[in-house]
Amino acid sequence: MATDEALALETPRESRALPRARPTLSPIVPWAVGIALTWLALAHFHRDSVAMLWHWAPHLALGLRMNVLISVLAIGIGTVLGAVVGALELSRCRWIKAPARGYVHAFRNAPMLVLLFFTTYVFPFEIHVGSLYLPFPDWIKVTVGLALPASAYIAEVFRGALLSITSAQWEAAASLGLSRSQSLRWVILPQCFKRVLPPWMNLYAMITMSTTLASLVGVTELLESARNATNTVNRTDFTILVYLAVLTLFFLYCYPITRFTARLERKYAFH
Amino acid sequence: MPESWLPAFVVAAKSVGLNYAFLLNAFEREAWLKGVVVSVELSFLSIASSLLVGLVIATALTSERPWLARPARAFVEIIRNTPTLVQIFCAFFVLNMLVSQALGGPQNNPLTAYAWVVIVLSLHFGAYHAEALRAGIEAVPKGMRESAASLGFSRRGRLIHVELPLAFRFAWPSLINNMVDLVKATSLGSAIAVGEVTYASLMIWVNGDNVLELMIFIFLVYAALTLFVVWLGGWVEKRLRMPGYGH
Repeated sequence: MATDEALALETPRESRALPRARPTLSPIVPWAVGIALTWLALAHFHRDSVAMLWHWAPHLALGLRMNVLISVLAIGIGTVLGAVVGALELSRCRWIKAPARGYVHAFRNAPMLVLLFFTTYVFPFEIHVGSLYLPFPDWIKVTVGLALPASAYIAEVFRGALLSITSAQWEAAASLGLSRSQSLRWVILPQCFKRVLPPWMNLYAMITMSTTLASLVGVTELLESARNATNTVNRTDFTILVYLAVLTLFFLYCYPITRFTARLERKYAFH
Repeated sequence: MPESWLPAFVVAAKSVGLNYAFLLNAFEREAWLKGVVVSVELSFLSIASSLLVGLVIATALTSERPWLARPARAFVEIIRNTPTLVQIFCAFFVLNMLVSQALGGPQNNPLTAYAWVVIVLSLHFGAYHAEALRAGIEAVPKGMRESAASLGFSRRGRLIHVELPLAFRFAWPSLINNMVDLVKATSLGSAIAVGEVTYASLMIWVNGDNVLELMIFIFLVYAALTLFVVWLGGWVEKRLRMPGYGH
């Protein structure tokens, strides 16, 4: 009974501590207008440097393609690995649980840049399979280096989601005659999905932004392409424009994701 | 001053296949230790200034004046949706260049790479702190606000004496999270040659075959630093605890 009382006292305070959802219009529209106007103005007043930027656009696009490729692969590997580690974390066996917890702690507490240095410098540049030499290029090492911390974050998200489903749900499913795997599939996982999706999307935006770290280990992604362009042209106004373009591209990619996440969070919030 | 246990440690590490010979080289050892000191300095300097920046932005975010709240919101969204490394490059390769040009040459520019890292990390994590503090300010119970108003507090007095002290306590766990992220982000300083521990290690492992060994040391340094921040945060949280709020 004591716990029930504590819960009854806790609940209003918890709900008060949540930030209030503000019913605003989608701010995507003013942002889109603002960015479009800025670039139109730049194209009007700095015609020749914008033309030069257009000339470099294919090079930058190739870079951006690398960022997208790395981020998608990293989140994919991270999700699969994270789901496994998250499940292991909930194991009742101490010898499975402890290493899983250690894995999560180690990869969450290490700076991503240091992990990238680790995977690029410690992993071999080719893998030996029988008589075959498979190349192990830097961009794949970077993908692995980003997938490891991603899996640790996802493991935490999964663990939290699985724990947030009350045991009453399992019992109710069982009383309806569902087997354990059926209740997992039809009752528990659909509820987990709602809890996992917003933080998963936030993590994807974070991983995407972290792909720029690849430029520091010699992978030609957007930031590295931008550096190449500015060093080749070596003009003040062009340098400013290129970095502005990089900021704009990342903002255009990540802002809609975070907005959508915030909307889902409000939609799925407990009330 | 080579300690007597140092050679013993190097020999012991050698027996498990780890090459820590750089510790016996006074020059490399000093350079690496200096890197650790720079990392600690960079972390605490940036944490302090990011909290100040966060306070200012949070005040602007919750302001009722749209000309203050809107630019603050735009700033926070830009900071949160662009990569930290790009922000550091924009500061160091664009703003630094503009400052140098305005002052008539890089020799007149007082801003170093170190200063730019502190500035960028303060603004970046200031924006994250501001979001946490905004949520904290909005979580202050309405009755509290109204009673402060009825006691004759002006809007500013209410913010300083009632809302912010409470918001700070509500937001503190998120602020600690941000500070841990900040400590990890100081490693980005190595990208523009700030001599913190990652950069110092880079300089050592290019000369020798000891990447793994240095990696272990770097992880230990960051683990110790983040643990210290979390411990300090817990201590502050305990000191600030008020009856009736928190557990």
